[in-house]
Amino acid sequence: MAGLLVLGANQVALGDMLFILVSFIVLALLVKHYAWGPVTKMMDARSEKITGDLDYADQERSRAEKLAKEREDALKNSRAEAVEIVNKAKESGETQKKSIVSDAHSEAEELRQRAKSDAAKAREDAMSGAQNDIANLSLEIASKVISKELNADDQKSLIDSYIKELTVNETK
Amino acid sequence: MNDKYKFVEFLGLRFNVANDLSVIVSAILVFILVFALSRKVTMRPGKAQNVLEWMIDFTNSIVKSAMPDGSGKQFNLYAFVLFLFIFVSNQLGLFFQLKIGGFTYVKSPTSNPLITMGLATISLLVSHYYAVKKFGFGGYLSNYARPVKFLLPINLLEEFTNFLTLSLRLYGNIFAGEVLLALIGTVAKSLGAVTFIAAMPLAMVWQGFSVFIGAIQAYVFTTLSMVYISRKLEQE
Repeated sequence: MAGLLVLGANQVALGDMLFILVSFIVLALLVKHYAWGPVTKMMDARSEKITGDLDYADQERSRAEKLAKEREDALKNSRAEAVEIVNKAKESGETQKKSIVSDAHSEAEELRQRAKSDAAKAREDAMSGAQNDIANLSLEIASKVISKELNADDQKSLIDSYIKELTVNETK
Repeated sequence: MNDKYKFVEFLGLRFNVANDLSVIVSAILVFILVFALSRKVTMRPGKAQNVLEWMIDFTNSIVKSAMPDGSGKQFNLYAFVLFLFIFVSNQLGLFFQLKIGGFTYVKSPTSNPLITMGLATISLLVSHYYAVKKFGFGGYLSNYARPVKFLLPINLLEEFTNFLTLSLRLYGNIFAGEVLLALIGTVAKSLGAVTFIAAMPLAMVWQGFSVFIGAIQAYVFTTLSMVYISRKLEQE
């Protein structure tokens, strides 16, 4: 044992250094081939996958956020649009109502005017017809009854004054 | 401490059978460990794969602490194998010692200075190799005269002290652990049943502590190896 502790003693087994060198290299190669290679490859693949998944998740999240925002905007827009449509409909209904009512008003007014003037005209016609008839009739009656030589013009003025008196009484 | 070893002469070199057998046993144990843990490699790791990945992450972090810029990725495998091999070697002698006919055949291979020197040689060879590869042979040589010229002898000396401290630290720790364990064993046998009972907790405590030391020394050896490599790979 003492020989092993002192380098250069005749018992030193320098072959051991060579032996451990060779066996260590062989061990390293075997470990690399059977365990290190596959496992580190898988570890790299996993870290790559995790990075990829995280990137993908980020991407998806931002996409979803964008989509949600778009939807919200669309919803807001559609609400405003609906309000506008309702307002427009109300407005057009109002104007239509106004125009219909005013049309009806004017028509009614026209009808009334026409009826009034018709009535007035009819009365006037009737009045003048009756005046003439009454004048002629009374003239005839007078000429027959009185048979006095009465000028026709005098007679007519007499009757007219009479009738005027009559109409004044009637309108009263 | 009065172990006897068998020696074999081969191609003019002497081989210590106990050392070489122990190295082989350790290497096989390491290989069985990682082989068993890496059978089902999947994207969603199972228990075994988790353990293996935890170990890989651990040694990768050692490399990364020495070379934080990510240039040390090529040494990840080296650190991993080195750490596992030294760890298993350190524990081997605590649980499993084979003696036949007075000759030791299996023990902790790291309790022998030649084995630890062999491991240190590998580390330093790796560091010199990558330094030459990175700076070219001229650049590699000129690095010895940096940062100032008169430091050249100190830098040269440092190469030897690095080698000796790296190997003898590991050897000393593990060898001392085995010596103390053997001493406790002789105490246990010295006065019959009384000392046997008294020595038992001592042996247990020391064995537990040796497991701890073995883990620490494996970590230290790997860390220092990486530090030496990283120092060779940067210009001051």
